[in-house]
Amino acid sequence: MESTQLDTQTTAESNAAVRPEEPSLPPLTWMQRNLFGGGQGSIWAIARSSALTIVFTLLGLFAYQQLLNFIFSEETNWNSVRVNLRLLFTQAYPESDYHRVWISLGLVLVLSGVGLGLMKVGQGISMKKIATWCVGWGGLVVLGVFLRQPSVLVGDDGTPLLADADGVPLARDGLGTLVYLDGSPAPSQGLSVVRESYGGAISSRSGWLLIGLVLIGIAAAIWFGLGDRRRRSTFLPAIPFSLAGIGALISTTWWYNWGNYTFSTDEETGVSGFNFEPGVKVAETTRNPWTIMFVVLVGAYLLGRRLRGTAFEPRLKGLLTLGWFLAPFVTFFAILRGPEFDWGYVAAVDVPLWLAFGVGGAALMWALTKPGIGELGRVLAVLVLAIAAFTWIAAFFGWFGMLQKVRLSFLLLGLAALLAPNFIGEARQRLTLVYGWVGMITVFHVMVTIINTPSSIEVPTEDFAGGFMVSIYVTVFTLLFSFPLGVLLALARTSRLPIFRLLATIYIESFRGVPLITMLFFFTVFVNLFLPEGMELALLAAVTIAFVLFSAAYLAENVRGGLQAVRRGQYEASDALGLTTVQRTGFIVLPQGLRVSIPPLVGQAIATYKETSLLAIVGVFDFLRMARDIIPNQPEFLGERKPALLFICVVYFVGAYAMSKYSQRLEKNLGVGER
Amino acid sequence: MSINDATVPVTEELAARDDMIICEGVDKWYGDFQALKGVSATIKEREVVVVLGPSGSGKSTWIRCINRLEQHQGGRIIVDGVELTNDTRNIEKIRSEVGMVFQQFNLFPHLTVRDNITLAPIWVRKKPRAEAEALATQLLERVGIPEQADKFPGQLSGGQQQRVAIARALAMEPRVMLFDEPTSALDPEMIKEVLDVMKDLARGGMTMIVVTHEMGFAREVADRIIFMESGEIVETGTPEHFFTSPEEDRTKLFLSQIL
Repeated sequence: MESTQLDTQTTAESNAAVRPEEPSLPPLTWMQRNLFGGGQGSIWAIARSSALTIVFTLLGLFAYQQLLNFIFSEETNWNSVRVNLRLLFTQAYPESDYHRVWISLGLVLVLSGVGLGLMKVGQGISMKKIATWCVGWGGLVVLGVFLRQPSVLVGDDGTPLLADADGVPLARDGLGTLVYLDGSPAPSQGLSVVRESYGGAISSRSGWLLIGLVLIGIAAAIWFGLGDRRRRSTFLPAIPFSLAGIGALISTTWWYNWGNYTFSTDEETGVSGFNFEPGVKVAETTRNPWTIMFVVLVGAYLLGRRLRGTAFEPRLKGLLTLGWFLAPFVTFFAILRGPEFDWGYVAAVDVPLWLAFGVGGAALMWALTKPGIGELGRVLAVLVLAIAAFTWIAAFFGWFGMLQKVRLSFLLLGLAALLAPNFIGEARQRLTLVYGWVGMITVFHVMVTIINTPSSIEVPTEDFAGGFMVSIYVTVFTLLFSFPLGVLLALARTSRLPIFRLLATIYIESFRGVPLITMLFFFTVFVNLFLPEGMELALLAAVTIAFVLFSAAYLAENVRGGLQAVRRGQYEASDALGLTTVQRTGFIVLPQGLRVSIPPLVGQAIATYKETSLLAIVGVFDFLRMARDIIPNQPEFLGERKPALLFICVVYFVGAYAMSKYSQRLEKNLGVGER
Repeated sequence: MSINDATVPVTEELAARDDMIICEGVDKWYGDFQALKGVSATIKEREVVVVLGPSGSGKSTWIRCINRLEQHQGGRIIVDGVELTNDTRNIEKIRSEVGMVFQQFNLFPHLTVRDNITLAPIWVRKKPRAEAEALATQLLERVGIPEQADKFPGQLSGGQQQRVAIARALAMEPRVMLFDEPTSALDPEMIKEVLDVMKDLARGGMTMIVVTHEMGFAREVADRIIFMESGEIVETGTPEHFFTSPEEDRTKLFLSQIL
């Protein structure tokens, strides 16, 4: 009686809302259907699809085997990477100033942590996905155990054991000459290394085998444990789950003996060498900062989580955006470089200039937004722009010597004045522009002052940053500057004014028609020749400018594609409401156009990130150059290229993959409210 | 901005005190095709005018000329004492006084309903945000969907979207509302809810020009009906005159086809 009732209830429920589940296929049936022709069609169709499956599986296995053989080969010296990790990531940054690197990283982690905390809680990671991961990785590990060729046997002296062409083992006598075990001389040709037996190899890798089997076991437990609920409602929160994983990894530095690797130069002899102490914990100088970093990240995450949904959230989000915008400048110029201010000069020149532009500009903005100013405002704005343009022209003829930042400040003032008509109105509205101006000019002057101040950090090379750090910074600054430039170019190219259209088109087409590497050489070699006397571009600034100009041309085309996707009705509705062209562009056209162009924009960002490896060719000590030129020239690792190159491939891949994943998430989030 | 001082004054004899829109011999060409042939009409304040006519008769083109979404090439258009010329200040002034509702709604899909409504009051009328939001809430109540303020247009039905579009236009506190076939893109069951809002508006004394195919609405609400064909105004009259004793043959033919 009771069971009948239950049955009825279930049926009623499924009739009401729940979509009937498609039965999940048993693995064998799935394989038959998808890999071996599905049992439908002729015998030839089955044979054809089976043959394709088998051939390409073998191809994949072969590639996997070769990769494993290289990674685990006794001839691959991974110490060249382990010992040089610091070099690869930060170049010759002095150890005594390392806290600066950690502070920079900490700042970025605080921003990321709070940002993650504020993020909408997604669906999480489904248990089914975790099972799939486990079975995938476990399967790969198990496969690897059986696929990899048996290891080379190594003698007591650390060199591989050799055998002759028939497989008879050889040994070295007291003088190091190769002989047979009975002492007779060995042939000099046809020698090969001795490998352990296949069975021996498997048993010596039993640890790996165990890991793989445990992973598969977990997958099976999840799969069968969940039963029919597999397809619904069993999710792990993604971010805490990932944080726990990172935490577990970092905690191993406290209890697992990873061994300590260092690379140091002897002050007296000048000989550099690496020390490897196996069987000890990693040095405190590695373990403690990483632990602190993790705590900072988790703390920031919890803070964000706590403040989510409170009244602070909107303000916090604004602060975060500002933080992300300022972080590259602050870390690169203020923290990593350690500017040594000449306070007398700062007080005599920098502060008065800042005050003059800050107060004067604020007064101008207040005046320009006065209701009823009419055409006079536009005339004044154009006048300021004309002064700015004149100061630049004057620079090339050597008239009216003035600081570069004065010229730039005039330019900013002119641009702000052009925006002023949009802020005409009540005091509240006018103050928005005034505060905006003061904020912008303050940030600008602080940055320029810092950039113009010599650094306190002494490094052997011209650039204080190198390795992966410089690749990241060039990428970040390129994106930061090329994005607005690209948007402006796209707007100019779709503008109604022919002069804008013409100039933008010429710019875009010519920069797209020149190879990036040519641009890099041009900017590092020739541009300094064209600049007026007294102006000079540092190498990093030159390459960044080249990247910005190049990237902007491509971004502009991507953005233009997005702008053209905005429907005509949107323009008409904005016009009918009386919005000005600037307002229409800023509030209606750009937000919609940029949303459409997210995928190509992220593609461009990833391309820029990868293209920074071209810096190696124009003399910057970037990530690639470390792996290709510096490490193989160290006495310990002469000619040792492959491990480091494979390592940087992996690092580049992780970065690019993360960006691509992030963009997918962004697209999904912004998709809300789409037609 | 005080634009009033700068606007072109209109001669006294042309503009009676309560003339809201004056069109005088308005011509419009698309290439070689003449879409409007000397259209002349005067719309009084608080008057509701329904424009009828077959497809391609120039109805939409005419009202789109009134707020300069299309540029007329001959004749004069004077809205609330300001003549439409190439002077952008006049165009801006007229656009902020003339609200428009489109056939395809044209809501901004990336903004919430509330932001759709408050955007123009804040940035064109320079209203404080709180005041604009209070106005938005009030308008949404007036069009009957106060609970949808935080949704995006894509989450609303067609009828709800069109009502938001009306609220958006009203938020500018316009003196004239133009409706360009506001119910043509709607499913039949949603037409009524939009027409009800428009009737309510008409009763409130708004000056309205409505291009529509809804004869029931025209008969019930219009003060005057203008019938257009081939870019010309063929006949003008009260609904009673228009539906019971039309004079022109073309009007009779049109009515026989649709009634």
